[in-house]
This record gives sequence, structure tokens and C-alpha cells, in this order.
Amino acid sequence: MEESRRKFINVCLGGIAALGVTAFAAVSYPVVRYYLIPPDDKKNKGKITIPLAALVVGEARFFEFNGTAAVVVKKQDGNLAVLSAVCPHLGCIVQWETERQDFLCPCHAGYFTADGAVISGPPPRALAKIPFTVTNDVVTIG
Amino acid sequence: MEFFKTIYNWIDVRLGTHEIITEKRTGYLLPSNVNAWYSLGSVLLFIFTLQVITGMLLMLYYVPDIDKAFDSVSFIMTEIPLGRLVRLFHAVGSSMMLLVLLLHMFSVLFMGSYKSPRELHWLSGFFLLLLAMGISLTGYLLPWNQLSFWATTVATDCVSSIPFLGESLVEMLRGGKQVGIHTIGRFYTLHVGLLPAFIAILIGIHLFLIQRTGVSTPPFGLEDSSNKWQGEHFEYEEHPGGVPFFPNFFLQDMISISLYLACFMVFVFFFPNMFIPSTSYVPANPLVTPSHIKPEWYFLANYQTLKLFPSEIIGLTVQAVAMAFLALLPFIDRGAEKHPLKRPLFTVCAIGGILLWVGMTLWGLYS
Repeated sequence: MEESRRKFINVCLGGIAALGVTAFAAVSYPVVRYYLIPPDDKKNKGKITIPLAALVVGEARFFEFNGTAAVVVKKQDGNLAVLSAVCPHLGCIVQWETERQDFLCPCHAGYFTADGAVISGPPPRALAKIPFTVTNDVVTIG
Repeated sequence: MEFFKTIYNWIDVRLGTHEIITEKRTGYLLPSNVNAWYSLGSVLLFIFTLQVITGMLLMLYYVPDIDKAFDSVSFIMTEIPLGRLVRLFHAVGSSMMLLVLLLHMFSVLFMGSYKSPRELHWLSGFFLLLLAMGISLTGYLLPWNQLSFWATTVATDCVSSIPFLGESLVEMLRGGKQVGIHTIGRFYTLHVGLLPAFIAILIGIHLFLIQRTGVSTPPFGLEDSSNKWQGEHFEYEEHPGGVPFFPNFFLQDMISISLYLACFMVFVFFFPNMFIPSTSYVPANPLVTPSHIKPEWYFLANYQTLKLFPSEIIGLTVQAVAMAFLALLPFIDRGAEKHPLKRPLFTVCAIGGILLWVGMTLWGLYS
């Protein structure tokens, strides 16, 4: 009698524990999802246009693109380069050095050419290129 | 006086408070060779309480919004009576908390107090250190200035080098691709809600563990300084003829807290810019990273390690291995000897490790 009573209580406790775990999982999933999935950043989604006349030879222009920093450079030869301004090392924003005509990451002294290729320093890869077109003297980025 | 006695008696007959004081405090004996280093735990408890109080005062005026955070902190500093003092207490206090935590850890390390049966004490202390670093990092972003913005960007970006999950984890931490409106909300929630709660719970666990096992005996001034614990059954480490916690060691605690306060006030009143440099007075600009951006002093060694290795993942792995080694030290160092001079290999390695950390910190600062 005592044995079966003990067994019954153990089965009940097991059931309650299983129910508790299921309830916890059911509640925690939406809670975790609420935290984990970042809301879409709709700002600047899509394309950006810049008049060609607004760009000066040998200068860079920084702007926000798809939620991150980007840069367009009008190189000395007149060609354009559109790059992500986020250093692939630790995410700092690169600075344009007009005199040297290159990019410097101020965090860990990484240097990049005007086309984004790594010259020196710790960056593991080049600055990401962003596609662009030039039509009727207007640069369309993205 | 008679009035207070009546109140005391009223409480005593209901809760037995006199018994708590005589048995648990005056009767709570510490080793007869106990030293001042043992009071660092009380100093830390005091600092944590002060951080909670000043933090709550700051919350009265602080607004966790990217357009208002910087101005609200400026308002606290310039318009609120004693606001500057409260902010400085909180900012300097966070650094001092980590400094005292490290000193507490070093004293435990050299006195061998982490050895069996106190592995869990060490582990809970280690996690408290991680949580203290976490709460400092999350609080650092909140003033939303150039320094805090970029130090947080660099710190959170480190996670991206974790294979496969890195990018998603960074987005989860930041609430977006870069540090922004969702990051400040997440960090604020962690800083004022989750992390203080975890720290309070872990402090409770740490104190409970000390109460269960008894205070460890320092290895100094003894002929036999080896660990006596056999590992066969639970045993409370008693110290017959030792020093009563109250009033004797309580007085030592008060002396240590007063000394700490003296040092703390020197920083608050004479060197406040050491903790709030000039880049802290410029609002955050996500398109311009200031030159020579440096994290807070307690992350400088990690920062320099990342700079040193050509690959980010190697730099992170080295740090993870070092941290894991520190966490698991009581399980690795199984020797019975506790006196630092009687275990030269350990002492040399420990001093070497500390010097390496200090060297990397200074290198990070001046590079």
C-alpha cells in the first residue's frame, strides 16, 4: 500500500515537473524571441542618390547606408569608389586622409587604399565594396 | 536610552536578536592570525551598496534615449545640486569596485584560500568579477558620448569573430547592425535590472558558502600551513580561541572601509578627469570615430591582446583560454600547501601572470 502510494506521488511529481518544463519552454520562447530578433532597421533601406557635382576630387563623403556607415571617394583619376566605412577589424569607422589619399582606422591604426584594400595594420580584409551606378551625373548607391 | 532598550527588548523577545549577536557575531570566531586582506569582502559589499544608491539617484534624471541621454547626463552634471558629485561617485566607484575585486582575488590567490573545499567560493567570485565587468561595460555606454559609443562598438564587435554565430550574436547584443537606439535600451535594462539582480544573488551565494564552510585559515605565522581538508565528509572549519567577528574584526572592516573611502575621495575630488576624459564631453557621432580611442583601464589588456594578434579569433581564443584557466584554478592546483613561499612555482607563475596583465594594460594605454 505504502509502496504504491509512493509510486503514485512520484508519477504525479514527474508529471508536474514535465508540465512545468513545457510551460517554461512555451513562455521562454516568445520572451527570448522578443529579445533576440532585432527589429528591422528601415532607415535608408534601398538606394541613395548623390549628385556627381557634390563630390570633390581627392575628397571623401560619409553617409548612412542600410543602417551602417558608408563612404564615397572621388579619386585623383576621377573614378569613384563606394565602400563600407566600417573597419572589418573591430567595427570602428575609418577616416579619410586627404594628404595621403588613404583611409585610416583610428582604433588600431589599420590603413586602406582609396579602393578599400588593406595596406597595413590588423584589418583581416578589405573594406566591403557597395555597388553603384552613375547616370545623368547622379550617383545611385545600392 | 530607556526607550531604545524597551524597543530592543520588544524585538528581542519576538525574534531572538540578542542570540544572533552573541552566537552568530560575537561567537563567530575568525582565525587568530586573520589579516586585513580578509576585510576586502566587506569593502566590496560597501562599494556595491554605494553603487546601487548613486545609481538610483542618477536614474531620477537620466533618460535612456539616444537623443536625450547625453543631455540628461549634462543636466545632472551641471544643473542638479550635487549632481556632479553623484555622477562622479558612480563613475569612479565602478572602477574602484573592479580594482578592489582584483585585490580581493589576488589575496585569495596568494593565501591559497581557493583550495578545497572552497572551489565554489572561487567560482562564484570569478563569476562576480565577470558580472562586475559586464555591469561596468553596459553602464559605460549610457552617457552616450564619443568615448562610450566607440568603446562599446569595439567591445561588442569582438563577439563577431566567433565562428558561424558571431554576426548574429553582435546583432543580438546591439539590437541592430551598429550601436544605436536599441543598444541603449538593452544596455540600460541589463545595467539597472538584470545584472544588479544577478550580482546580488551571487553575493548571497558567496556569503552562504563562506558561512557553511567557515573562514579559511591564512597560511602566515603558522608552522604547518598546508590544507587540512581531507575530502571525506563535510566539515565546518572552526577556529577555537580565534578573533570574534564582532566587535574585533568588525572594527577592522570599518578601518578598511574608511581607508578605501579616503582613496576614493582623492580620485573623486582631485583626479575626476582620470575617469571622465575629454572625449566624454562630446556627444556620440556614429559616423566619426575619434583618434586613439581606448576602452576603460580594466579592458586595456584585452584591447592590447586583440591588437597584438594578426587574427581576431586567435586573440579572442587566447583570452578565453586564460579566463578558463583562472576560473578552473582550484581544480588544476590540487597541492595542499597554501603558503606562497612554500610553493615557489605557483607564486612565480602568479606574479608573472599579474605582471603580464599589468604590462599589457600599460602597453594598451601608451600605444
